[in-house]
Amino acid sequence: MDAAGAGWYCAMSDPPPTDEKSLAALQERAKELACLLAVEGLLRDTTQPLDDVFRGVIEAIPPGWQFPELCRARITCEGRTWQSPDFVDSPWGQCAPIVVQEHTAGRICVHYVREPPAAADGPFLDGEVRLVSTIADRLGHYLHQRNLERLLMDFGRDEARTAERPQAAWRGGLELVRQTDQNLYVRLARKMVNFLCWSGVREAQELMQRHAGNGEGGGEEPDNYPRRKLSLAPDFYRGTEPFELAARYLGDDEIFARIQRWMFEDRAKFLVKVLESQQSSLGEIADALRRYQQIVPEDSSLSRATLEAMKASLINRFLTEQLDFIKVAKQHVDVGAFLDLLDRMIFPATSHGKLGGKSAGLFLATQILRRAAAALPDGAEVKTPRSWYIASDALLAFMEFNDLDDVIQHKYKEIDQVRLEYPHLVQLYKNARFPPELVQGLSVALDDLGDRPLIVRSSSLLEDRLGTAFSGKYKSLFLANQGTKQQRLEALQDAVAEIYASVFGPDPIEYRRDRGLLDFQEEMGVLIQEVVGTRVGKYFLPAFSGVAFSRNEFRWSPRIRREDGLIRLVPGLGTRAVDRVSDDFPVLIAPGQPRLRANASVDEIVRYSPKKIDVINLETNAFETLELSQLLAECGAEYPALAQVFSVVRDDRLHKPVGLLLDPAKEQLAATFEGLIVDSPFVARLHAMLRQLEQSLGTPVDVEFASDGKDFYLLQCRPQSHAEDSVAASIPKDVPRDQVVFTARRYVSNGFVPDLTHIVYVDPRRYAELEDQQTMVAVGRAVGKLNKLLPKRQFALIGPGRWGSRGDIKLGVSVTYSDINNTALLVEVARRKGNYVPELSFGTHFFQDLVESSIRYLPLYPDDEGILFHERFLLGAPNILAEILPEHAALSDVLRVIDVPAATGGNILRVLMNADLDEAIGLLAAPGTREAGRLAAEPVLRRGEDDHWRWRYQMAERIAAEIDPVRFGVVAVYVFGSTKNATAGPGSDIDLLIHVRGGDARREALENWLDGWSLCLAEMNYRRCGYRTDRLLDVHIITDEDIARRDSFAIKIGAITDAARPLPIGGRVADPIP
Amino acid sequence: MAGKSAFNPFEMAQAQFDKVANLLDLDAGTRELLRFPLREYAFSIPVRMDDGKVKVFRGFRVQHNDARGPTKGGIRFHPQETIDTVRALAMWMTWKCAVVDIPLGGGKGGVICDPHNLSPREQEAICRGWVRQLAKDVGPLVDVPAPDVMTNAQHMLWMLDEFEAIHGAKYPGFITGKPVGMGGSLGRTEATGYGLVFTLREALKELGLRPEQTCASVQGFGNVAQYAIELYHQLGGKTLCVSCWDQADQTSYSFRKSSGIDLRELRSITDRFGGIDKGKARERGYEVLPGEAWLTQEVDILMPCALENQVTGDNAGGIHKRVRIVAEGANGPTTPEADRVLQQRGIFVIPDFLANAGGVTCSYFEQVQSNMNYFWEKDEVLGKLDVKMTSAFLAVSDLARRKKLFQRDAAYVIAVNRVAQACKDRGWV
Repeated sequence: MDAAGAGWYCAMSDPPPTDEKSLAALQERAKELACLLAVEGLLRDTTQPLDDVFRGVIEAIPPGWQFPELCRARITCEGRTWQSPDFVDSPWGQCAPIVVQEHTAGRICVHYVREPPAAADGPFLDGEVRLVSTIADRLGHYLHQRNLERLLMDFGRDEARTAERPQAAWRGGLELVRQTDQNLYVRLARKMVNFLCWSGVREAQELMQRHAGNGEGGGEEPDNYPRRKLSLAPDFYRGTEPFELAARYLGDDEIFARIQRWMFEDRAKFLVKVLESQQSSLGEIADALRRYQQIVPEDSSLSRATLEAMKASLINRFLTEQLDFIKVAKQHVDVGAFLDLLDRMIFPATSHGKLGGKSAGLFLATQILRRAAAALPDGAEVKTPRSWYIASDALLAFMEFNDLDDVIQHKYKEIDQVRLEYPHLVQLYKNARFPPELVQGLSVALDDLGDRPLIVRSSSLLEDRLGTAFSGKYKSLFLANQGTKQQRLEALQDAVAEIYASVFGPDPIEYRRDRGLLDFQEEMGVLIQEVVGTRVGKYFLPAFSGVAFSRNEFRWSPRIRREDGLIRLVPGLGTRAVDRVSDDFPVLIAPGQPRLRANASVDEIVRYSPKKIDVINLETNAFETLELSQLLAECGAEYPALAQVFSVVRDDRLHKPVGLLLDPAKEQLAATFEGLIVDSPFVARLHAMLRQLEQSLGTPVDVEFASDGKDFYLLQCRPQSHAEDSVAASIPKDVPRDQVVFTARRYVSNGFVPDLTHIVYVDPRRYAELEDQQTMVAVGRAVGKLNKLLPKRQFALIGPGRWGSRGDIKLGVSVTYSDINNTALLVEVARRKGNYVPELSFGTHFFQDLVESSIRYLPLYPDDEGILFHERFLLGAPNILAEILPEHAALSDVLRVIDVPAATGGNILRVLMNADLDEAIGLLAAPGTREAGRLAAEPVLRRGEDDHWRWRYQMAERIAAEIDPVRFGVVAVYVFGSTKNATAGPGSDIDLLIHVRGGDARREALENWLDGWSLCLAEMNYRRCGYRTDRLLDVHIITDEDIARRDSFAIKIGAITDAARPLPIGGRVADPIP
Repeated sequence: MAGKSAFNPFEMAQAQFDKVANLLDLDAGTRELLRFPLREYAFSIPVRMDDGKVKVFRGFRVQHNDARGPTKGGIRFHPQETIDTVRALAMWMTWKCAVVDIPLGGGKGGVICDPHNLSPREQEAICRGWVRQLAKDVGPLVDVPAPDVMTNAQHMLWMLDEFEAIHGAKYPGFITGKPVGMGGSLGRTEATGYGLVFTLREALKELGLRPEQTCASVQGFGNVAQYAIELYHQLGGKTLCVSCWDQADQTSYSFRKSSGIDLRELRSITDRFGGIDKGKARERGYEVLPGEAWLTQEVDILMPCALENQVTGDNAGGIHKRVRIVAEGANGPTTPEADRVLQQRGIFVIPDFLANAGGVTCSYFEQVQSNMNYFWEKDEVLGKLDVKMTSAFLAVSDLARRKKLFQRDAAYVIAVNRVAQACKDRGWV
């Protein structure tokens, strides 16, 4: 076809007429060109019946001539004739031979039925003469093409015709090839000889050497010398010798199959070529892919190697260049699937872009699940919402079109500058225009998607990569997509522009900077997806949606295994399931054990059921969060799959609603998903999908999904992400025994709890010996007070049995969630009692609270074999309970508070938890070496977080150094709180304690001076991290009297725990106060 | 449990009994009989789990005393249930039924299990297994179970179904706590709160106070508190302050309106767990105060209707001098130290055990209705509840006055006395 194409271009590139016949001549050329194009169009498809094609050509010819009304055409070919109805073999005609592979197969003639007017230079123009021969040329190529394809088909058919005549089949076919396409024949012969050589046929090797000139190519030569080249005489391959040889060694069937496959591969070569060339644009690939589909009926007609190479190239071009991904993906996709993708892809003409991570992940997951559909229960069909894709480099085209190229440098600016400029940048993008081809593409997409609400999501090339959980760093925007086409198109463009701007948002840039990804050329694919759901009243929402993980990191019962997975399910849009929401709870299900629920009693189930719902308001075109009860009261009857999502709460019981009698406006409903879990195959299907995806992708996965009440839709799939605090920690093996506080080997989840400064330890033995209930209650109350006093998220609670036990509080300390909500780690100790080990609660009493606030839970079984439990440390370290809670000093025997740095000479307790190994360790280590426990694979620098306190601390030092002790009457300056404890976050203030001696005037001057600092620091902090506060300093001024009385904040000076730290003022460290 | 001095609920219940027995000067035989349960059952319940394996659960039933009628008491699903806990609770049930003078004895049962680790099907198997083991030793005329810790109406229906299948007939009176329409009684939701106010009404009479001239402060805004306030308002009283737990803030708040709270208004901004929306309350003119503020209000009546151990030695001093009555809607809201303070100040305490007996009385009504398979209208249930609670209160306060006993002790004395009398009448001791 390449040769044919060349002919076409030739005709077009003829030198234009240069003399005076300008306009008329140009018109004629245009007509000729149109004619040629029409013919070309007809000849593109070789599968049409020859009759139709030739008849079409005959009709297409007259309009190309100077006098179309007189013009008639005739084709004779292989003994048959096709002609215009009133064709006359007049004297005013011209003919050209149709040559197929150097044989004249027929001719094409164009005649005028009578003498045309003005026939000075003969009846035909020069161009017309050339046109006839060009068309004849094209017909020749076309016929050749057809022959070849028929040949291929015949090969195929012969194969089907039993084994009695395969020999004739391959010989006959091959002979035909030899006659029609010498080059192809030579390639086949060469392949056959190579194949025979590889198969170890000595004669073939000899044959090759014999025809290779000097005949000594096989000799051993030193490896580092270039091998002598064996020139292969082409003549040899033109003969029949290679195949005769093959016939001696191979069965007819095999020869036949090989030849057929090589011929197909030969046909598919153009696609390989296009794919391999870095120059080919997406448009060219799309064209090649379409042609490929017509020529190669099934992927299976090609060799595995060729197919794999093609798939790898396609994945590389469309999805990602990541080798890990390609390696997995090529096993699961069909070449044809890319064509579907291309049909819904928007890209600039010369695009070399990709889909981006999100789209690629979803594409691959869908392919995997489609292939495995038969293995899934109930033949579950996996649907994906209708989607359109904008290629990643459209962003560059957009920027170029609007002269926004200099924005690229934006990412290298200081982060505070990025933050300041960002709002401006967003507006700049939103006001920019889209290149016409993108507008066109978006318009087509909108026509296809209709007026259903849309979600426009970023699909960055960095996003969803293995090891880089970029989720949430870029934007996803919901569009109600209501109004006129023009309004909808504008809203869509606006959303895409905003997504584009988000590439340069301060958070992604800071995140990339931290991970060394800043220099990566950030192209951003965009995924435009129909929102799954139905209209309910004036709202649009799915019946339910959620996230599912193939590995369960939050087991609420020892019966649940990690492989049982986890589903977080909510009614309405999935936004509330994806993120942890502090004020609400998704329903948790372990798909492997769907009936073992985190909440057992009716009260628990209702308390921890979702109370809010995210929807799209179609009237205001806005994304909204509603009270679920409000939505149900307003339009509950329309809620899709109502009976699957909700249970009726009545008489201390949850009823699955039965039939039509349910009145959502009158009944109290709770979103329990009981009907969905128990009566539908949903959970089993999702579990099977998770397992399939995990197995195929070779890594745990998480998926987002939604349902409109009828069908299940997959929205996203990626390697299972971890919150930063739930990455598997590496467990060090060489820790000296005396530094280990405890080890665990059962029911361990992932986690990394660094730098715990305090341990609250309720001694199981002493607790069990308590005589009266009052004392047990008092222990709970004391723990609640410690929870408020100890530094937040820097202490661990270790206690017997079941924390939060109600009723029989002998089993565990009676606390509510508010009594423990500041701890970093909740440990339950199961000590053997006689011959049994008590069951632990797994935090069930407030399990979901723990999950949503990232408090880690760990069960300890100290009496298990091989487990270390450093009881001597826990019981022997100084107990500071009496000092910080004098009113509970009487509990000192049972309740111990250990200031870890004080007790260990500056060490902290670090807890490393690894669910993969099912191991955890709590060890004493030097503070600050936070990274020690992280896996090398996840080099998450918590620089951003560390920076907050470090910077604050430096500023505090600076203020202290700058303070004029005489002018302000300052005796000493101390820092305490989060800045001192290295726990400051972006919104933390700097707690300063300033000891003054002096009158009111000096004090006022000091306060003014500090206020200036405070304002400046707040502004600096905003520029650094985007956190807006009025002031950053929290200054507590104390006097000698305060210190004497140990009043107010004065107790922080020299305190037993969390003491304020003195800072040098004017180069002098504060005198320690006795 | 490791040391012999460890806290043991049964020993505690026995000590409490001994104290009352001393007041009553009970004879040794009766003491010996009442200090221990009449019968105890301990048995195994094999259950085929969802994964195909068999797990064996331990079940209990303790029938403490049935001299006054069939034993009655809940079934607890608890992972570390002990026989001593069940014994103590069974004994308390005997006294509780006796104090409101309903013809029932005391029992309790349970299974060592954690429903958090069990699927509903497995829980059903445990319920049915429990009944199979005891089918001959329980029943509407013998021993009547009810819901308790971690069991609910669903568990009761499974058990009832198994019992009826075994005995081949319908016995709705076998179990209580059933849903309305499935053998449950109307008025159950209101029973405890209303019962509390029936006794409160009598206490006011006794103190010569007119309800319409009194005001109250209530801790908690759950079921009990809401219905108590409802009835108290119907009597003409005014509630100035209620407190409740705020789930979002993980703390409690008190809501005060000096002109008196509007119950309907507050209910409209309250969730199922009695949590009042504090923003909306503020909009409606309520002062939002710290959780403990309910206790220090200038009112005539305090009704702790939330948790145990709320009025303590530490905070009892903050109770306003105007307070005349503490009506205990919750279980054990007052610690012994606080009790002493109340006693010294002459505050009239309606003890929990009597004040919140409306619940158990209504269970008795459910059983009665089930046995005759004739179900009353709500008015009839609540009317009969009023009669029971009032006469129970009068008996207790009469005794307290005559014998100069603290109300709490008087209630125990009456209860133990009634049971002891029944045992003697039967010629057991």
